[in-house]
Amino acid sequence: MTLTHFVTKNAFRNKRRSLLTVGSITFSLLLLTLMMTIWRSFYLDKGSEDSAQRLMTRHKVSLANFLPEFYRQRIRSIPGVTHVVPITWFGGKYKDDKAENFFAQFGTDPTEFFKVYTDYKIPPEQAAAWQHDRAGAIVDEHMAKKYGWKVGDKITLKGTIFPMNLELTIRGIYNPPTSTDTLYFDAKYVEESVRWFRGSAGLFASLADSPQSVGRVATTIDDAFRNSPQPTKTESEKAFLLGFISMLGNVKAFILFICGAVVFAILLVSANTMAMSIRERTREVAVLKTLGFPRKTILALFIGEGVTLALVGGLIGSLGATGLVGLVAKGGGFFAGLSVTPGTMGVALLVAGLVGFLSSFAPSYTASRLNIVEGLRHIG
Amino acid sequence: MSAVSEIQNAGNGAVGNRNIVVQARGVSKIFRRDAFEVTALDNVSIDIAAGEFVALMGPSGSGKTTLLNMIAAIDRPTSGQLLVLSEDIFLLNDEQTARWRNEHVGYIFQTFNLMPVLTAFENVELPLLLTNLTQQQRRDHVTTALRLVGLGDRMHHLPRQLSGGQEQRVAIARAIVTDPTLIIADEPTGDLDSHSATEVLEILKRLNENFQKTVVMVTHDPHAASYAHVVRHLEKGMLLPIGG
Ligand SMILES: Nc1ncnc2c1ncn2[C@@H]1O[C@H](COP(=O)(O)OP(=O)(O)OP(=O)(O)O)[C@@H](O)[C@H]1O
Ligand SMILES: [Mg+2]
Repeated sequence: MTLTHFVTKNAFRNKRRSLLTVGSITFSLLLLTLMMTIWRSFYLDKGSEDSAQRLMTRHKVSLANFLPEFYRQRIRSIPGVTHVVPITWFGGKYKDDKAENFFAQFGTDPTEFFKVYTDYKIPPEQAAAWQHDRAGAIVDEHMAKKYGWKVGDKITLKGTIFPMNLELTIRGIYNPPTSTDTLYFDAKYVEESVRWFRGSAGLFASLADSPQSVGRVATTIDDAFRNSPQPTKTESEKAFLLGFISMLGNVKAFILFICGAVVFAILLVSANTMAMSIRERTREVAVLKTLGFPRKTILALFIGEGVTLALVGGLIGSLGATGLVGLVAKGGGFFAGLSVTPGTMGVALLVAGLVGFLSSFAPSYTASRLNIVEGLRHIG
Repeated sequence: MSAVSEIQNAGNGAVGNRNIVVQARGVSKIFRRDAFEVTALDNVSIDIAAGEFVALMGPSGSGKTTLLNMIAAIDRPTSGQLLVLSEDIFLLNDEQTARWRNEHVGYIFQTFNLMPVLTAFENVELPLLLTNLTQQQRRDHVTTALRLVGLGDRMHHLPRQLSGGQEQRVAIARAIVTDPTLIIADEPTGDLDSHSATEVLEILKRLNENFQKTVVMVTHDPHAASYAHVVRHLEKGMLLPIGG
């Protein structure tokens, strides 16, 4: 036997209580790991290299306002910009209003699309087929699988913003770095049928020549249109996507609040459990001291117990979160590409260890200072 | 320091100082609780020689446990001097006192006080975890101690799988596994039936006779006291004269 062995035996001496403590830490740490993963993906992930070089230019007032088509040439002429394509939200209905039939559809320019979206992979003959069919569309691999689509399949999208239906033929299946369930088609198709849309675009996606020039290019674009009737707002693709998330409210504060509440709650729960479990063993502590266990060993034994329980809970919790995130990410859509990194797991375990330490410190310290005579006279 | 040397000089009499294990001079202990004061020990002086088997008797509350606790360096006298193994244990700091107890004293309780989560073997091994012994050495010591108390075949039982007598024998094994000079037993047979009590007393006798352990035992039972060479009586915190 070793002292570690003794610590483990004590930690799990009361099966039901240990199970409840570990369980509550498990669920808290699962939640914490999920929150940290979302935080990381929102605010720390820079996206793929190409994504970091991509800029989105939209109407300064709102996403619902269109920009003039000619902005494309002006943006293209700005030093540091290599390619520009229009991107217009179609918002059509596929089959019905069911959530599982909802996906993004954008009108764009097929001839330049893959020059901006350099990280999207597609067989060259499929890209060419799309460029040659004005009623052609490309879909990503994940959604093709989900809806059982193959190249050559025909689908209809009922217009909601635009007074028309799109009769599209799938010409290609592309593979993005992270699946987003998005369909792209030729914007000219809409322009031909909808008179008021002619010469417009929802927004422009452009590719900068290096990640370093992104900031400068963005200001130059916005400066160019500052005094026009349609001023613009340009930001990195990542920041642009984050803009959608922030429409939900102050997500940052919300995540921080949840994380704080979770950590605080488990701190209280395990502090209470540890205090109870140590107080019950007052007599045993006195016996250990009689056998010659010094204060610091007693302190280490009990803190070790708290940390062991917390770490077991933390490990199960963060592993559970890893599995859960994996499952959700497989489902694609909003959470596609989400994963629990070893770093996030490390932070979760660190938090768990800290919770174990802090929650057991006070009662362990009291136990280590216990007066042996009082402890031996203790009944219980 | 002067008090200590005084005692040491005083001890250089008929009994050689090295043979005296416990030397108490005017030891008093007063417990203060709020406004109350309890004099648990009142000016107690006693010499216990190496290899002696002393029984302490006396009514409940007469200070027997308190005296044992002083000798085992678990508690400090309010006044008076106490040398155990020629050392003024109350000059040691907390950590040194703990180590001193681990090395020199084996304490046996009335209620056994084994760790319920540990097997007999592990309970006995516990005090050895504080030493520098290797795992193999620890195993040898534990096995020897458990065989000595006749529990070689119960090593991997948990306390709740043992009878009271067996539990107390495990506790004795735990007390002797570090090979201490002094064995302190506070009513070791108080919770046992007469058969188990006799077994325990026989073991203590063997430890005293064959292994030269000095034994100080508190008991209410005259049969238990008959195993001792010397029986001393405490009354209201005062030690009665021998034969008194
Ligand atoms: N920690 C303490 N705080 C207050 N009073 C104490 C404390 N320890 C002992 N006493 C008191 O000191 C006196 C002697 O107690 P002690 O435990 O030494 O008696 P005892 O002879 O061992 O009795 P028993 O046979 O019942 O075990 C008692 O009056 C007891 O109430
Ligand atoms: Mg007593």
